[in-house]
Amino acid sequence: MLRYDVGVIGAGADGLAAAATLAAAGLKTIVIERSTVTGGRAQTREFHPGFRASPFTDELVAIPREIHWALDLTRRGAIFAPMPSMAVWPDRRHILQPLREAEMRRRGVLARANEAAATPPPRFRFLRRASHTPWPCEDWVDASLADVLGEGDEAAHRIAAALAGRTADPYLAGSALHLLAENNSGMVLGGLARLSSALTNAARDAGAEFSLGLEASDIRSHKHRVTGIGLADGTEISARAIISTLDLKRTFLSLFPWSALPPPLVKHAGLWRMGGGTARVLLALEKAPDAPRCAIHVAPDAKAFAQAHAAWRAGLIPAAPPATLRLVSAADPGLAPIGSATMAVTLGAIPFRLFDGAWTHEKRDALRGLALAAAESVLPGVSASVLAAEVITPPDIEEALGATEGDLWGGEIASDQILGLRPGPRTEMTGLYLGGPSSAAGPLGTCAAGVAAARAVLADFRRLT
Amino acid sequence: MSDCDALVIGGGVSGLTAAAYLARAGLRVIVAEVRNKLGGACESIPFGESFHAPLTQTLYALDPRMVKELKLNLKFAVRDMALAGLRADGKHIVFSRDGAARSIAVHSQADAKAWKRFRRELFSLARDMRALWWEEGTLSVSHERLEPFRRLSAAAFLDSWFESDALKATLAFDATETGLSLFEPGSALPLLWRASQEMCGLQGAVAAFAGGPQSLVQALLEATKVDIRTGASVSRILIAGGAVAGAELVSGETITAPIVISSAARRRTLNELLPTGAIGFARADSMDRALAQTGTAKVVLALSALPMFGGVPTTGRFVLAERLESYAAAHSAARAGRLPDELILEATTPTAADSSLAPIGQHLLIASVRPVPLAMNDETKARLAVKVIAAFTRHVPGMHVVASEVLTPEEISSRYGAQDSKMNIAQTLASWDERLRTPISGLMLCGENVVCGRAGRIAAAMAIRDKT
Repeated sequence: MLRYDVGVIGAGADGLAAAATLAAAGLKTIVIERSTVTGGRAQTREFHPGFRASPFTDELVAIPREIHWALDLTRRGAIFAPMPSMAVWPDRRHILQPLREAEMRRRGVLARANEAAATPPPRFRFLRRASHTPWPCEDWVDASLADVLGEGDEAAHRIAAALAGRTADPYLAGSALHLLAENNSGMVLGGLARLSSALTNAARDAGAEFSLGLEASDIRSHKHRVTGIGLADGTEISARAIISTLDLKRTFLSLFPWSALPPPLVKHAGLWRMGGGTARVLLALEKAPDAPRCAIHVAPDAKAFAQAHAAWRAGLIPAAPPATLRLVSAADPGLAPIGSATMAVTLGAIPFRLFDGAWTHEKRDALRGLALAAAESVLPGVSASVLAAEVITPPDIEEALGATEGDLWGGEIASDQILGLRPGPRTEMTGLYLGGPSSAAGPLGTCAAGVAAARAVLADFRRLT
Repeated sequence: MSDCDALVIGGGVSGLTAAAYLARAGLRVIVAEVRNKLGGACESIPFGESFHAPLTQTLYALDPRMVKELKLNLKFAVRDMALAGLRADGKHIVFSRDGAARSIAVHSQADAKAWKRFRRELFSLARDMRALWWEEGTLSVSHERLEPFRRLSAAAFLDSWFESDALKATLAFDATETGLSLFEPGSALPLLWRASQEMCGLQGAVAAFAGGPQSLVQALLEATKVDIRTGASVSRILIAGGAVAGAELVSGETITAPIVISSAARRRTLNELLPTGAIGFARADSMDRALAQTGTAKVVLALSALPMFGGVPTTGRFVLAERLESYAAAHSAARAGRLPDELILEATTPTAADSSLAPIGQHLLIASVRPVPLAMNDETKARLAVKVIAAFTRHVPGMHVVASEVLTPEEISSRYGAQDSKMNIAQTLASWDERLRTPISGLMLCGENVVCGRAGRIAAAMAIRDKT
């Protein structure tokens, strides 16, 4: 049996950052990844000869500055090119603006999440119960996007930026919280794969080990205390602490026998709601269109978001889903042959489960049609130069990344599932830490949840022996 | 010398209750009512020749102490209305006080088991909430117990307990009262609020008065002797030196009074009746924003026979809603100004228990449809009536409708003065002090979420206490 101090499940940005932090602190750490490459959603691949794109997302939630510095990512090759956000309507009206409204709040919430991770909870239950300090940003819990941003085109643009790739009804209370989880990191030059390799190198240089290509099939535990990880080929890795960067549902409902968990935890994980709603269409364009180097939100309209959200809830593909275009090759010419272009269209409010059955070829084609229609409405003539298109639906994302229901944010961002009500990093299972998108810092910053979990492990490690 | 010791604006149940309590304390009280009739939302809709369709079909929050203290002479037609969900597949679900578990078991065994614990836990928390909602106390329930209600949406709350759509969709109707979507945080609170009320000594019961809610107004009028001026529309509230001084009527007459209790909606009182800026612009603006975008429409049907739904008591209330998602779809359609495809409604047949409301042999079916757009044109109103009739004829083939009448939310608020505004979490959990007091000394509100005079009783008590 292989013995480690800490086993990290998943080599996404969170897992890599956690491993780097732990290994740097001198713990013997192993990262277990199902795929043969590291990076999770931060990957870039060729989808048509000569055309490359990041299939799941173009931008991430920004990496908190101190993590970026601590892992020395810039020197390792992860250079972010800012991607301003722009709204364009079919009648050529447009708004360009940098979006940094929610940034301060996000920092406040992250600081609070880190503080919670770094201080071990009091040993006695009654002491734990007595302390409720409010989280920053709790005033947004019953505010809607429309309350916070107001009405009009500018507000619609900001709503579109906040919701890109997700879904919410901007008029319903609690939707303002989406402002905290906006993808606004900018693009990584050379594609998101550069970020993965930077993070992987950071972890490797710190001394973390990797086990690639084998899925973690189960977590072994004894009396609500985790003891090790079983791999798909039957090997067991024993570890004193385990960080799971999978979401809450997948961690508890698929890695444990349910009888090994406290029943309230099984119930909690079962009731956890997934949001998501991301679909992507990657387009290889023969001729580069004359489009700015921006994230272009197509004709954003708060009412249309509300309607799309209602359709999403009913399991329907919205008639006009919110769409964001990114001419990724304009920001990063390496992604397409000279003269050609790669465009990624992110659609929001696309249901994981359709009311009338599975995702068939026809429905995928319909999605491509919607993406092309959106692109065509602001860049007329663009659909004539499409060489190839790849459609990525929510089930594809689940399949590829293990994110339940294709939700990259680890659970619907709603008032009862955010801030202090997100689980982790500590869990009811001693020694198991949640470092994925479902934990408090998860949707607020790339790598943040992983680092918070690593800090929690470091703070508790002496107790775990 | 002022004209009276206290002026009460509005002669609805809240206003009359406040007036009654003030008069009981020996104050000279004037009640100014805009309309020529008293009762506000408790009035009957004039309908047909001898139909009395009550605008408020059900009552669930009459303060038992009010009945005792004012010695109200009330008769109930139904003491504990059963809640029933009418299902498209004919498997109706009935929540009667004793037989609910049996009816639920048809849909799900697990839910039938969970039901008892659900009731027990909800009712026990609701009783503890009475310190805040009944008395003038502050929130005394621990953070852990209340937190789920503060943050959870009604949909998530019901999902955490039950699995069957029939059960969840039927129970959910009561949560839509505040105008929030079921998928918004805070929408679970109305369920707790209703569970904390009691009628006829039964917690969480819903009752109907004999003779319709109008009889409550009658009882209040008999119990108290105050100067009532009907047709007296208040145009503005007078202020002198930061304190209230009285009110001016549209007719030009002024009534001076050191205490003014307004049962008009908070927004109307503070934003429209007070001089601009009297309460600060930020506060005025926030109230304007909190206006509801959807409302409740009433559809009244006169029938030639009492409709019978298989196994459902006719004296109960019937909810038509298939799934929780139907509420979300209806809410977003209503906000967009469209009539929802699938109507969500609660209906009663008040004539089943009280034959005085209709000519002999004829019956009334009153449906509260929500959410719907606030304003509707005649064509939409007609479509709404047709849809409601269609929804019921599915269950009672051959139902013969003699006449029908539709009241849109806008018509209800302009005619009867009941205004729909959203209640968010903070408002629902606010103490009575925060709810009823205004920045103007001597000016009180008592129209906040009309709950059978509870606000009137407390506002009067506060005003009397402030004075001495």
